[in-house]
Amino acid sequence: MNKDKIIIDPNLSSFFSWNDIVRYKSLLNNLAKRDFLVRYKQAFAGIMWALIKPLMSILVFGYISTKISNSENTATNFVYVASAMLLWQLFSNVFNDVSNSIISNSNLFSKVYFPKIIIPLSTILVCLVDFFISLIILVVLFVISGQSLHWQIILAPLFILLTVINGLGLGLYFATINVKFRDVKFIVPVILQFGMYVTPVIFNTTYYLDRMPSWLHWLFCLNPMVGAIDGFKYALFGGDSIYNIYYFSLSVCVSFLFLFIGVKYFYKFERNFVDYI
Amino acid sequence: MSNNTIIKVEGLSKHYLLNKNVAQKSDTLYGSFINGLKNIKSIGKKNDTKDFWALQDVSFEIQQGDRVGIIGRNGAGKSTLLKILSRITPPTKGRIEYSGRMASLLEVGTGFHGDLSGRENIYLNGSILGMTKQEIDRKFDEIVAFAEVENFLDTPVKRYSSGMYVRLAFAVAANLEPDILIVDEVLAVGDAAFQKKCLGKMNDVSSKEGRTILFVSHNMGAVQNLCNKGLYLTKGRLNSTGDIKDIINNYLQSGDTNKSDYKLQIPEQVTYGYAYEVFIEDENGDSLAEIPVGSYWKIRVKFAITKPTPHFIVAVGIVSSFEMPIRTTWSKPSDINPGNYEAIFYNNDVFLTTGIYKIVIGLSSNVRTFHYSDNEVSISISDAGDILSDKRIINTQSGLILNPMKVTINKSN
Repeated sequence: MNKDKIIIDPNLSSFFSWNDIVRYKSLLNNLAKRDFLVRYKQAFAGIMWALIKPLMSILVFGYISTKISNSENTATNFVYVASAMLLWQLFSNVFNDVSNSIISNSNLFSKVYFPKIIIPLSTILVCLVDFFISLIILVVLFVISGQSLHWQIILAPLFILLTVINGLGLGLYFATINVKFRDVKFIVPVILQFGMYVTPVIFNTTYYLDRMPSWLHWLFCLNPMVGAIDGFKYALFGGDSIYNIYYFSLSVCVSFLFLFIGVKYFYKFERNFVDYI
Repeated sequence: MSNNTIIKVEGLSKHYLLNKNVAQKSDTLYGSFINGLKNIKSIGKKNDTKDFWALQDVSFEIQQGDRVGIIGRNGAGKSTLLKILSRITPPTKGRIEYSGRMASLLEVGTGFHGDLSGRENIYLNGSILGMTKQEIDRKFDEIVAFAEVENFLDTPVKRYSSGMYVRLAFAVAANLEPDILIVDEVLAVGDAAFQKKCLGKMNDVSSKEGRTILFVSHNMGAVQNLCNKGLYLTKGRLNSTGDIKDIINNYLQSGDTNKSDYKLQIPEQVTYGYAYEVFIEDENGDSLAEIPVGSYWKIRVKFAITKPTPHFIVAVGIVSSFEMPIRTTWSKPSDINPGNYEAIFYNNDVFLTTGIYKIVIGLSSNVRTFHYSDNEVSISISDAGDILSDKRIINTQSGLILNPMKVTINKSN
């Protein structure tokens, strides 16, 4: 009887482990598959919605951006906005969906044990699938605007990952609060709506920084999405997308700080979720 | 841990803080607005909370291959114990040690999604219960055969009949191969034949494959058939443990069975009056929630009338656990004056089979119902085996009503 002996006691604290992920890999896949299948079931346009939604935003904000900044090259401006917008939407989907994921799957973990981190992770998978579908828009705009690829393109996945990290860190933090205070459901969309205007989505970082006093610059760059979006633009278009390497690093550090806080906070309360749902 | 001990529980306690303000919920927009303002105002103030120990200092050991029935009345801590054992919620004090793989079935079809097909749900549900894709692949045909849904594998389960749904859900769980299986009252769903099939399957799992089973049920017949050991909880404490027959005996003789006295919720708006208390009694008028199969019983309804009520009727309905109304009885219509009354409904003609039945109570005036109690009262007919049943009627589990028909046999040409 030396099979894996399990001990349950009040002080047991769990923390992120790859073993959990590996053991529950099929749950991770099946939950993601469920969310994906269910989302587009009985929708006439089906998966096309993964394209239509970001396309609308890109068209609207691309147009606004072109008008306001009096940009001469409309196509280039659109591809800039599209790259930032897609990444922002990935962030906003991950942040929003992760923060609601624990609540909406409470029927599962209040009846069966499994590592709860599986739930937000499966949510991320679904967001990533949507993101990769929406990349088609970017590719098309890229070709239309006649951009050429640089070697930096190989860095792009890193900044997609950074975006997911931003959404996950914040999402886990809010998911934990959400277990007790359902106000989160309303707060997160407000944060996201406001956040988009202090993130270089419609205009690039230079545009913002040129228009604010220099003592505000570092505050602007505490936004973790500044680093992700600037980095992603650098990977796609090269050049001077990264305004200032120190500010960029600051933003990336904030990303990892958020991830750390989010994960820590999540695991601090994870075992007791059921008692508060 | 001795060689054969598979689960060891020491001094297990679970504490909850109950919020006294829970009742402040509001269904109206205005009410929730006011409550929201109050909540914001009270930030930082200490909440009114009440201590509640769901489990207190429970210790026991379970040997490998034991089939343990956990019994006790509602609120005794049975479900909390199962939840802690299956790692859903942590204990406040104490310690559990077990070895091997544990699977818990606290609900049939956890995670089933109506929009997904039977096939997709098998994989989803299986993986929630902790099976790998390979395991599910290997067991797939067996699951489908057990559930008898071969022709509907690609139909969304929301189009399934409730019977098919439950069969499929149980089939996935039954084909898990855990060392320890935890089952909570899930057999209360489905028809008698299916319940029998499930119990049979659990028996197989345990006796042929030597697995350990922990089983919670209010159906003493099922517990007695399936289990060899018993754990009896009262108010969060372990009352006794040992051979299942002794434990069931303890339980039934303690009078600590289900509820026999129900206080009804008084409606917010009273027009003519309301029913406020219901008693379940045996033929001698003793309160008894668990009625032995084959005996008579009464329902005593106490109600208050607040103003003269024309054409008054009090009615009681009995509804089976799968929501099928079995019978409804009305009092003779009469005009009634204010005061407190009680009505007694005698069940001394029909014998119902074992199970839990819902009792519905209605008060009406001029055929218009003014108080209706739906989900508050239930009655449990128990198959207590040799212990209480007087064998006037054989409980064959072959129908809701056990009364035999008149049978004659004549020679024909």
